[in-house]
Amino acid sequence: MESTQPMYFDCRNISYHYPKSNIEIFKDLNCALSGPGFHGLFGPSGVGKSTLARIMAGEIKAAAGEISGEPFPKVLYSSNMERLPGWSSVGDHVAKVIPPKRIGRMEHLLSDFGLASCRKSRFSQLSLGQKNRINLIRYLLQDFDLLIMDESLANVDEAMRELIILKIKEMFPEKYFLYISHSVAEVSRFCDTILVLRTPHKTPQVVTVTGLNFQSGDSLNRSDLERTMLEIVHAA
Amino acid sequence: MLHRRIFQFLLIYLLALGLLFLFKYSLNLSDYVIPGPLEVWHTATLVFNRYLFDGLNTLSVAIVGHLLAIILATLVAIIGRQASLAGSMIKTAAYNLQAYPIVAVAPVIFILLGDGLASRLLIAALICYFPLLLSFIGILTEPVTDIEHFYVTTGRMRWQLEVKIRAFENTAKLATVIAGSATLAMVGTIVAEFIGADAGIGYSLRIALYQSNIAKVLVALFLIGIFNSLYLTCLEFFGYLVQKKLKISTGETR
Repeated sequence: MESTQPMYFDCRNISYHYPKSNIEIFKDLNCALSGPGFHGLFGPSGVGKSTLARIMAGEIKAAAGEISGEPFPKVLYSSNMERLPGWSSVGDHVAKVIPPKRIGRMEHLLSDFGLASCRKSRFSQLSLGQKNRINLIRYLLQDFDLLIMDESLANVDEAMRELIILKIKEMFPEKYFLYISHSVAEVSRFCDTILVLRTPHKTPQVVTVTGLNFQSGDSLNRSDLERTMLEIVHAA
Repeated sequence: MLHRRIFQFLLIYLLALGLLFLFKYSLNLSDYVIPGPLEVWHTATLVFNRYLFDGLNTLSVAIVGHLLAIILATLVAIIGRQASLAGSMIKTAAYNLQAYPIVAVAPVIFILLGDGLASRLLIAALICYFPLLLSFIGILTEPVTDIEHFYVTTGRMRWQLEVKIRAFENTAKLATVIAGSATLAMVGTIVAEFIGADAGIGYSLRIALYQSNIAKVLVALFLIGIFNSLYLTCLEFFGYLVQKKLKISTGETR
């Protein structure tokens, strides 16, 4: 039986500076994810999106502030920089690192993410987009409440990215996702809420914008999309 | 691979021999100081078979000593890679102990263990052990973050897996270090035999030295070079096979 899902995920007064540096990249940063869904984290390059994500995942300790949830969520952080070990095929590797009960789901994901033919390939034989997709699959099949996807769909073509995001929303409606992307159109269209991270001298450092939360079968309203995109760009 | 190494060795050996004879004839040195080519050849025909077996004896001790050193260095590096107190102590001990020349403590080993096989093995192993250990600790301490992150974050990381990932990712480095330390194992064995053992090519060298017989020394050096080249070639070939197999299995040769 699945555990009770957290009702919220909250970061309060987060402060952080890089080791051996006095420059604070976050100062009293506040942000929250109000409920399960596909959320976005957007911001200019170098603003600290990955750092904030890793603080949320508990991989980096903030200098001050607290992260809370009720019950406290299990957070996983995945990025496009990861590799699978080279000693086994990607299919064997994924099957080995997921709970056995999810093998069926793995097969579906491999097929839906366009990787069915890559099952017997080694990681080094895959294209960059395929590598990112297979890495994402192994994370999706773990136990988590919040999965942070740090450019997890980089180097994946636009049509496949759309298909994957819609599939994730359909398959895991009870989970939290935080999708880090540099595509303003993508986060505007697919994300429920978008946390726009800004440079430290701007207050507040995070502005929350409501996205279109596009679902499979929805029709896209162009003017709504443009308005959301403008809102994000202005906030950044 | 083998013919290249043997060729390299022969080139150096013959060059050195030529220089020695040039030195002899230009300074008009007597055959007692540096024997002539015919005497060297004559000595070689007399002692070659005996030295051949002595060389094989030395090579076998060097191989076993080298294996012991690899096993020991692997075990210690697995413990030493940890950021724990034991790990730090082992690393500190390794760095400090390697500053002390093993040859200097060789007499103590001979006094305690006698002049037999055990002393030769121990000295051979100790001489190639520290360079191996330092390299192994370096390799096993360095995280392969892009692979390990998943296992750490999902709580699947075990020490065996950590060692496997780091060793797998550094196979080429490990192969180079192991092949490089083979010469040290040979050196260690010969030094041990030279100092106090009662067998091996190093022991024969010591006898030749006592007899002031440079011809015998030259024959012994020739065989040492040949055996060392053989051992290095075997290790390099083994390393090549392992890496080739890994490249095939990881798909890098596609």
